[in-house]
Amino acid sequence: MIWEALFLQLGYNATLVTIGAALLGMAAGATGVFLFLGKRALVSDAISHATLPGVGLAFIVMVALGGDGRALLGLLLGSALSAGVGLLCVSWLTRATRLSEDAAIGAVLSVFFGFGIVLLTVIQSMTAGRQAGLETFLLGSTAGMLWDDAVVIALGGAVVLALVVLMRRPMAAVAFDPEYVAASGGDVRRIELAMMGLAMAITVVGLKVVGLILIVALLIIPAVAARFWSERVGHVVVIAGALGGAAGWVGAAVSATAPNLPTGPIIVLVAFALFLASLLLAPGRGVLAAALRHRRFQRRVHLRQGLLALAQGQPIYEGLTLRLMRAAGHLRPDGVATEAGRAQAARALLDERRWHLLRSDPRHEAAAARYDGLTPLERVLTPDQIAELDRALRPEGIT
Amino acid sequence: MSLTRRHLLTLAAAGLVARPAFAQDRISVVASTGMIADAARRVGGDLVEVRALMGPGVDPHSYRQTRSDIVAMTRADLVLWHGLYLEAQMEEFLLKLGRRRNVVAVGEAVPEAELIGHEDYSGKFDPHVWMVPELWVHVVRAVRDALSDVAPDSVEIFAANAESYIEEIARLGDYARDVLQTVPEPARVLLTAHDAFGYFGRAYGYEVLGIQGISTESEAGLKRIRTLVDLLVERGIGAVFVETSVSDRNIRALVEGAAAKGHEVRIGGELFSDAMGEPGTYEGTYLGMIDHNATVIAAALGGQVPERGMDGKLKAGM
Amino acid sequence: MALKLAREGGHPQPQADQSHSPMAIRGLTVSYGEKPAIFSVDMTVEPGAMTAIIGPNGAGKSTLLKAALGVVKPLSGNVTCWGSPLGKMRVRIAYMPQRASVDWDFPTRVIDVVIMGMQRELGLLGRVRTTHLERAMSCLSRVGMEGFADRQIGQLSGGQQQRVFLARALAQEADLYLLDEPFAGVDAATEKAIIAVLKDLKAKGKTVVAVHHDLSTVRDYFDRVFLINTHKVSEGPVETTFTEETLQSAYGGRLANLPKGAVG
Repeated sequence: MIWEALFLQLGYNATLVTIGAALLGMAAGATGVFLFLGKRALVSDAISHATLPGVGLAFIVMVALGGDGRALLGLLLGSALSAGVGLLCVSWLTRATRLSEDAAIGAVLSVFFGFGIVLLTVIQSMTAGRQAGLETFLLGSTAGMLWDDAVVIALGGAVVLALVVLMRRPMAAVAFDPEYVAASGGDVRRIELAMMGLAMAITVVGLKVVGLILIVALLIIPAVAARFWSERVGHVVVIAGALGGAAGWVGAAVSATAPNLPTGPIIVLVAFALFLASLLLAPGRGVLAAALRHRRFQRRVHLRQGLLALAQGQPIYEGLTLRLMRAAGHLRPDGVATEAGRAQAARALLDERRWHLLRSDPRHEAAAARYDGLTPLERVLTPDQIAELDRALRPEGIT
Repeated sequence: MSLTRRHLLTLAAAGLVARPAFAQDRISVVASTGMIADAARRVGGDLVEVRALMGPGVDPHSYRQTRSDIVAMTRADLVLWHGLYLEAQMEEFLLKLGRRRNVVAVGEAVPEAELIGHEDYSGKFDPHVWMVPELWVHVVRAVRDALSDVAPDSVEIFAANAESYIEEIARLGDYARDVLQTVPEPARVLLTAHDAFGYFGRAYGYEVLGIQGISTESEAGLKRIRTLVDLLVERGIGAVFVETSVSDRNIRALVEGAAAKGHEVRIGGELFSDAMGEPGTYEGTYLGMIDHNATVIAAALGGQVPERGMDGKLKAGM
Repeated sequence: MALKLAREGGHPQPQADQSHSPMAIRGLTVSYGEKPAIFSVDMTVEPGAMTAIIGPNGAGKSTLLKAALGVVKPLSGNVTCWGSPLGKMRVRIAYMPQRASVDWDFPTRVIDVVIMGMQRELGLLGRVRTTHLERAMSCLSRVGMEGFADRQIGQLSGGQQQRVFLARALAQEADLYLLDEPFAGVDAATEKAIIAVLKDLKAKGKTVVAVHHDLSTVRDYFDRVFLINTHKVSEGPVETTFTEETLQSAYGGRLANLPKGAVG
């Protein structure tokens, strides 16, 4: 069943939701990278919570003008406007007062959201208009996705993605070193506003899919997960888009197979699972990889120290060192050195001496910078240079 | 002071004192749902002043009382609510209020034997008892009893009003049964946005399906939509129904899904599931609400119905 | 007292012909809140020279550079470059900020940082061509960092990072280089590498202005000095301006010993 779901074999509704959610996830993931790298993740949370009063006001205005208040475009427009006002408030609060950014975010988030809830309660007592369904903006209602919704998401997502690609370098530069960009004549404020504008667009587009409470998850989690896989911004953006899209796709598919699973929250859970997997398994920055690297490094250090001790006739006390030396064949089970072991020890000592000489010679500064206690000198210098060092070590001639 | 001014003052003073007697004697009643308010008005007549908390299009499963609601409820002579966990968000408050004020859960007057139990939780029941006039009569009687407790002097008036109202409801029940039987058996499938029509289905022999469960608080699952689409197509069901108090999005998704499989499903009409129509209209009363539902359902599913309902009072163009 | 000295300037300052000066600053004032960081500062950068901006901590040295470039908004003042407003001449000016303001965990490699210096040339789609890469690599080799092109910047030592940021400034191929404490906290090797690059720039006729903290190297590295302590104290060639008198008035008697090279 899950395979059919993943391959879009489960009928029109499931397919529509899967593709719509995947597109949203892709656009959200890519956009979120710049929020995350620019340390503005929580601002997007403030923006999404600030959409609520706009939805309520749009409803009230549309009903006052004689409609039934349900027009999606009107509601989305209202949400965008109030989110924009919220964003400007955060920006103004940090610039004009002494408030730190997180305090400003908290203030805007709670005030706007509270005002939105009040409006919803007021609407509850309104007799005019068709208010049923307004509260779905909070957590989304993916199951009932319509063709029109999917089109809005696809178009909105595509436009946002295109803008992200176009503006990736300025946005990355501003997130990395805004002072330098300003000094080079770049308009930092405009670029930051553009970044937040894209986040706002994603929020508005995704309101009906995952709801305003969860959209921040779709913006941030794929970006954070992607960070584990690459050290290049461009790649992080692509990976985040892929992870976000995968979360949307798989989340929707899973919710289509089991009864009573709300799609929005499932998508967020899948995104989190991808994050956990990245945290643990990513080859460079992942926890597992780091642990393995550390163990390997520790073993090499112990072996090196053991060999050096052996060469200099010093006793070895550490149990781990003894075990490793025995396992490598440098020591016999009773602790006496083997032939091979003694040869290795001598080589290690020679290498150490060569390094010592190299590091005190100012001519070899660049090579000396490569010293880490383990790398053999053969990897750093040419045989001629090593021969020259050896001559300096044994000035009385080669014996 | 001049003579005229003194006169005016006296008149004013007299006006202040001589307030019309009956305004002070009116029993103030606050009802949670519009249906209960309607019953209270019919049974209480001029003796009561009724205020409903929830208007048309309001979902009682998710309704949260506002500050002014609380004020009204604490000041009222009588608070009538439905119970059976319909007003899920208000239940705690109402139970607490019940310890110091007159608060009656009239929906719970329906005998337990006639209630539909929840399939998973014992002791929990489907609250949508107003769908079937024969069941609603129990509630009307409970309203009558509650009013009688508060104003024992007017017991006879309430009893008389209640009886005549119950007669009208009985007529409505007959009408509903008649028109709903005219729908051919294979077409008797009622698919709505949420499971509000359980009693309806049982009383009139219809298979009822809701996209969401008994409460609208649970989000519709994608699998449920799929299952229903397959069912719609398999059984060749021609019409589904939206509700005034629930978003129609899920129903529209069903329609699109069926269309993608080549099966055209119409939206047969809009039903009053958890709330009545506009106040001041016929559909804004209990009789009008049920009349409308029965007429629309029967007409959409291929039955023989008078176009304007039981007494020709329904809005045209339904 | 300081104000008086600013007007007298120690030695008569010939009003440099502003249309040749890579950067002429008039009356620049910046304040954070009500407290002035720099007050009514005039500066005329001499083309082709290496100028050091010196003064005690909190004197406003970094602020002077940042305000001149518009990174910080000045209260008043006017900046012209080669006779034209700053905005038009940015293409010819390169800036190297202090190291602190950067996120070292940012996913960017050394080569990417250098390419950021070429942002203006990358066009709408931001495509990096081979020519850009080659230029970036050559800037890196000028600072001795070509072997580190692929490393994430957080993996470098402080001095190595400093060199990368210098490479970024070099990538702009500018005529005026403004550097904010380029030698702060770097190892001897890095310091040597950087000063070699700066002297090379000077040899090619470029102008260098650097905020400098180490008074003992002023004479060796720089041709001119600009002393500031919120107000301008003095400006001119090292021989005539880097004197005990100007230093005492700039440092307000906080100097324990005269730095080497100062004219006593």
